[in-house]
Amino acid sequence: MGNSDLMVGLEIGTSKICVVVGEGRAGGTTKILGVGQAPSRGVRKGEIVDFETVMKCVHEAVVDAEQKSDVMIRSVYVAVAGAHIQSFNNRGCITLPEDRDEIDDQDVEDVKINAREVSIPAQNAFLHSIIQHYHVDGQDGVLNPVGMLGHRLEADFHIIHGVRTRIQNTLRCVKELPLEVEDVVFSALASAQVVLTQHQKNLGALVIDIGGGTTDYILYVDGAVKQSGALGVGGDHITNDISMGLRIPMARAEKLKTEEGSCVLGNCLPGETILLKDDSGFAGKEVEREGLNTIIHLRLRETFELLKRQLDEESFINYVGAGIFITGGCSLLSGIEHLAQDVFEMPAHGAHAQTMSGLTSALQNPQFSTAIGLIKYAQAVGADRPRRGIGRMLGRLFSGIR
Amino acid sequence: MIQLSKNYSLPEREIETIPIKVAGVGTAGSNALDRVLLDGTDKSDLIAINTDVQSLASSVAARKVQIGRAVTRGLGTGGDPELGYQAAIESADEIRQVFVDARMVFICAGLGGGTGSGAAPVVAQLAREAGSLVIALATLPFSFEGKRRAAQAQDALTRLNEIANAVICFENDRMGDMVAPKAGIHQAFAVADMIVSQSVRSIVNLIQRPGLIRIGFDDLFAALRSQNGKCLFGFGEADSDNRAHDALKQALKNPLMDKGKMLADAARVLVQITGGPGMTLSEVEILMQELGRLVRDHTQILFGTAVDGRMGNRLSVTIISSLTAEAEIAAHSSLAPNEPFLAPPPPILAERQEMPPPQIEIKPAPAAQPSPLSESFVPSEEMPPVEPRPEIKKSAPAPRLIAPKKKPLKEPTPPAEKTAQAKQEVLQFEPVTRGRFEKSEPTIVEGQDLDVPTFLRKNIRVK
Repeated sequence: MGNSDLMVGLEIGTSKICVVVGEGRAGGTTKILGVGQAPSRGVRKGEIVDFETVMKCVHEAVVDAEQKSDVMIRSVYVAVAGAHIQSFNNRGCITLPEDRDEIDDQDVEDVKINAREVSIPAQNAFLHSIIQHYHVDGQDGVLNPVGMLGHRLEADFHIIHGVRTRIQNTLRCVKELPLEVEDVVFSALASAQVVLTQHQKNLGALVIDIGGGTTDYILYVDGAVKQSGALGVGGDHITNDISMGLRIPMARAEKLKTEEGSCVLGNCLPGETILLKDDSGFAGKEVEREGLNTIIHLRLRETFELLKRQLDEESFINYVGAGIFITGGCSLLSGIEHLAQDVFEMPAHGAHAQTMSGLTSALQNPQFSTAIGLIKYAQAVGADRPRRGIGRMLGRLFSGIR
Repeated sequence: MIQLSKNYSLPEREIETIPIKVAGVGTAGSNALDRVLLDGTDKSDLIAINTDVQSLASSVAARKVQIGRAVTRGLGTGGDPELGYQAAIESADEIRQVFVDARMVFICAGLGGGTGSGAAPVVAQLAREAGSLVIALATLPFSFEGKRRAAQAQDALTRLNEIANAVICFENDRMGDMVAPKAGIHQAFAVADMIVSQSVRSIVNLIQRPGLIRIGFDDLFAALRSQNGKCLFGFGEADSDNRAHDALKQALKNPLMDKGKMLADAARVLVQITGGPGMTLSEVEILMQELGRLVRDHTQILFGTAVDGRMGNRLSVTIISSLTAEAEIAAHSSLAPNEPFLAPPPPILAERQEMPPPQIEIKPAPAAQPSPLSESFVPSEEMPPVEPRPEIKKSAPAPRLIAPKKKPLKEPTPPAEKTAQAKQEVLQFEPVTRGRFEKSEPTIVEGQDLDVPTFLRKNIRVK
């Protein structure tokens, strides 16, 4: 269609592949034109294990999105997840030449490059370097140093990196379709763009995106990303636990989880049972509700506790003022907010994309938070950046996004 | 025979109802009392007893007694149980007067503060001396109210346990579970009041209503007799098509019931089913069957049922029981040899014991006399003070008379059974347990393979 304002987000998830088509409008607003999806096969814990199958599924999802939004998709923003993604905070520092004391754009670029000069494992590649704050001659909390006077410019960055080959696998899968990849975005960062408002980012908030195969998180304090990461545990694990604990097939376990599951304990009568109807190849079974909830509760509690321990390594979690926002497919489980509230000892909410117009049913489903977030990310980044080739994709620095 | 039954009608018993009084001690007590009044009890007098004039003035109770005019001068006690105690002693005559013609007295008090903790035991003592049966309904403070208040509440509860015929104790913390997390704090307190009121009303009804299978004081006390005052109480009412099931479900929803799980540990359970003339035998059967599933085989069920025309289409269930198992075993094994069963009252109490509480209608009398108090007792005081005293605490699970038939039921067979079951369940699982993640790269965090179900790693039994 040749519409340059068209933005497409593609998320290759463990349970489903999701394509969201958005259109940039005048005044910086975005409208969602359509959402395409296909069940995902060949993905485990957010990483591709069967290349051919995943390609087919992605194709299916893209075709679906094209039909629904009536546009031709040429390039996409891709979300990546997986337990290999790590992050840390680093500070870059440059000193201005003696004869000059006004900071210009070039200095800001230099300090970004300087901040990136840290050692990450050899097989890893940078995904994002997100600016937190600048410091000019020791003055803290500078948001834009260009034009300020000073000699010493420092910048705090949050750096997210992951294993290069695994990210490239995802990219290759998309490129072979063939689609052009505009950018690669860590999925929790994308989700946070639509789940949180700027005000909530300023107050401090933790976004937990519990998808099918992974649980990704990102922590904002003072409007800047302070911590992020991923855990290779997700809804699939819950389903697997149910399947093994109650000895029922995976497909029935998945259905039971979404229809009847809750992570609140002690909420049912003793001996209360759920009857699974018989089906071809399945004899039917009666399972105890409390048993089901116990399995879900234990898994999610453990996941939250692991996250809490990771977050507790630094003190930022203590400065969260807006609470926890849980999104992703698993956030639909009943009682998950109470559990998170219990573990993290701060208010938690189930959250979905909020800050866009268009297909409201798509926006209100937390399963699509990441894909919609990609659009928002694209809008924020795309505004001040010309298109770049795919070869420079990895290891590039983005600072437009917060 | 048929003709006889046609002419037969239930004897009119309204005239000979037992005079019942409900006393609210302290501000929390009178709040509960207000609630009782608002919910409506037709056959009982309500009396508010407080030190704080303001609080007393706002109470809607018919009779009000201001205690401690000299000690507190119309103000509260500022959370000091000693003051509350002295206030009650000062106004002992007035309190005694209101209980003159009562046969049964409910004392509602919020323990932890000054008036409730200090005065309620004295009020209970005075009521007993006046010859009534005393049932105390005490609420324990929320845990966030502080350890000091919790300690004061515990001491007062111990005292109440010694004096009152029965104590029903509500933990405010448990009430909190009933309230949605977003609800205001006043709602949490209101729920506590509501449940106190509900219990008062249902116990009053239990005793007042002429029953087909009557429940008397003896049954009530058999069910309530407990050492630590941990009482299970549930009340449910329904008028749906499936009203027997719904009423029971509602009764078990009560926070003191813990969804019926606690019933498994109870030795005696009192169940009263009340319905309109339309109540059928099969409904009662269904209900008792469902309840039977929740209790153990050897649990004694004290069953009562009544038909009340005013119930109309509704059916209500009241379940009362008390948790005594561990406490009683402990009392038998460790404390019993050291302490005499019914210790003689301390000499200072002698003058008050002149007219000991007549033990009407209680067949197996729960210990009426307070357990021995320390020798360090100040002689000038008339009654034992309620300030925190380790000696009192020690005697808290003081042995009471326990019906001998209860004892064999409590033998430690059930726990053994439990552990054996648990072991077997765990063994049923196969050793290799990663399920669908069998062939994928393991997710190892903090030394644990997260692909293995959490419940297996934590060794938790899942049915």
